[in-house]
Amino acid sequence: MAGLLRRDMLGVALAVAAIMLPVAGAQAADPIKVGVTITQSPPGSVVQGTQVKDGLEVAAKIINDAGGVDGRKIELVIEDTQGLPEKARAAVEKLITRDKVVAITGEHQSSAALAGIEVAHRYKIPYINTNGWSDAIREKGYPEVFNPGNYNSRVGSAAAATMKDLGVKRVVSIAENTDYGIGLAKAIGEALKKVAPDVQYKYETLDRASKDFLPAILPMRANAPDAIINLMLPPAAYIMMNQLYEQGVAPSAKTWLYDGSGLADYPDFWQNVKEAGKGMLVFGLYHPKMAQPALGKQVGEAYTAKTKNEPNRLLFQAADSLFLIADAVKRAKSTNSEALIKALGETKYTGTRGEITFSKDKGYAFNQWLDVPYVTFQLTEINQKVGDAALVSQPGQPLDKSKLWKPAK
Amino acid sequence: MSGIDVDLAVNGLITGLFYALMAIGLSLIFGILKIVNFAHGEFYMVGAYAYTLIALALGVPVWIALPLAFVVGALLGWLTERTLMRPLYAGYTSWGLMRDEYAVIVTFGLSLFLINLVDKVIGPYAYRGPPLVETSRVVLGPVLISGHRLLAAGIAIAVIAITAALIKWSFWGQQIRAVSQNRLGASLAGIDTAKASVIVFMLSGGLAAFAGALLSPVINASPDVGIFPAIKSYIIVVLGGMGSVPGAIIASLFLGVIESFGAVYISFQYRDAFGLILLMLFLLFRPQGLFGEKGREV
Repeated sequence: MAGLLRRDMLGVALAVAAIMLPVAGAQAADPIKVGVTITQSPPGSVVQGTQVKDGLEVAAKIINDAGGVDGRKIELVIEDTQGLPEKARAAVEKLITRDKVVAITGEHQSSAALAGIEVAHRYKIPYINTNGWSDAIREKGYPEVFNPGNYNSRVGSAAAATMKDLGVKRVVSIAENTDYGIGLAKAIGEALKKVAPDVQYKYETLDRASKDFLPAILPMRANAPDAIINLMLPPAAYIMMNQLYEQGVAPSAKTWLYDGSGLADYPDFWQNVKEAGKGMLVFGLYHPKMAQPALGKQVGEAYTAKTKNEPNRLLFQAADSLFLIADAVKRAKSTNSEALIKALGETKYTGTRGEITFSKDKGYAFNQWLDVPYVTFQLTEINQKVGDAALVSQPGQPLDKSKLWKPAK
Repeated sequence: MSGIDVDLAVNGLITGLFYALMAIGLSLIFGILKIVNFAHGEFYMVGAYAYTLIALALGVPVWIALPLAFVVGALLGWLTERTLMRPLYAGYTSWGLMRDEYAVIVTFGLSLFLINLVDKVIGPYAYRGPPLVETSRVVLGPVLISGHRLLAAGIAIAVIAITAALIKWSFWGQQIRAVSQNRLGASLAGIDTAKASVIVFMLSGGLAAFAGALLSPVINASPDVGIFPAIKSYIIVVLGGMGSVPGAIIASLFLGVIESFGAVYISFQYRDAFGLILLMLFLLFRPQGLFGEKGREV
């Protein structure tokens, strides 16, 4: 009797093991799903969305080729937001509730990010803001939202410092009518008040969907400022630059053109602006001469091999977003959202651009990597590669005026 | 008139000329088929890409690429009429029986299809078309304008004049006007109404594509480049009187100048709203437009 019972128990145990082992094996192999919200169709910036997607795919491949995170591969679940807040909201909702992603990342347009973070906050899911620059995203103070990318106040202080070093007296920003554009224009104004209170500053808001900016540019021809700061994204930015050049406003002997949007490393930049880009000063989040960790070089080379394009800052921001999620999962030893948020808050990770940590100060600095590296360079030839452009300033150093070039007229 | 006013007037008129190139075709389509082609902006976009890619990728001289862009637009117009529009009105002798709301759905769908097709096949990056002349600045008194824009304006005037003359005096132009007045009557008189529809769609597509090609060095071809010009065209067709070519031309120039001055003296941010405000005023007080005719159906 006892022998029969022991045999039955053994049989039951073997049967249970036979069922559990494949299930356990399947769980260990389950991919880590990461939700991605990017623009893949108009009216948003498809150019940016494509670069972010490329960066995330390169990073995912690097992680997965190294065995994934504790044996689990990263799987990107991509949704197209068209750069529209309502679509971003719906995309994040779907990714969280239906796709059961562990985190959201990829967003590159501030208006869409501001909408998406509300949903992530409601569900308490980590949201890594790849490229939403608006300070308003940080000022919300949501503990789920982490910002390893650039922010408006950073550009504001960089632009103001450059204007001060140039010695200009009248500055006009041309901003697109979005949270990013208007927020940045205001941030530059605030920064100028602090470092160069004598500078007269104003900003014009233009519709990013428009194809003709001549009526806004013509008054500037009559009364040209000393510097114009571009805060628009392509394709509207290219049209605006061409019309500024056509009207002889900027770049010119009288007026500097400073780009605060990071246009110069876009693959289609020179094809669309030609001579209008020569002489432009650039707030650069990436320059080949910048010091870069080994991971950055690896990502850059993989990107060039995949796309045949030179690396750009969106690629590195996107890759870092995914690396941070993978790092958090590894340290938390879990994909539970609470554990991930805690781990992300304690991040000290050397990504593609440097060592990333998140500030706990309130306001624009909340959960922001404050020391995002940047340089200022000037394009001096048509079709010039970013790597060949003259570096005119680096963080902590004033503008090197001896390297500046200005058109004769 | 100050220097800047002259500048604004000239630039407004030039902008109006390009609006007219777009709007004439749309007005013709409405006149003859009584439908609004919501894919009209995408014909413009296709023309911009056709010109840019033929010139840049194939190395074809710009003066050949330009008429080729017209041909591409005309072919697209032919294909659209033959495959999508013909089934809507074939067999109907009276316009009261045709379901013109289907045309709205079909052309909206075509618009979305073309935008996304170009985005996926060619890519999301903008392409700047090669200019017709390399002169970047031409000074005409107080006016500073690019050489290409000036030349494009001259070409637009010539094309508009030729189109208006063809509609008024050519054999097929008269047939088209007959069909737009009364399709059944024209059919009874022996006019091939289907052929007239094909010609109108081809002309409309060709003109819109030509406008896109002329402007591609200015607006940089991208998948969504046709959306705003299309909206302006719909406004102009109503302002000018639906089906009226002279009305479309006058309304285009008027809108271009209004937008130019309004953007500087009122607000640039509301520049695209001026046309919509005019549209509302016309619909309230003169719904037939400048040159349209009042009608009533029972």
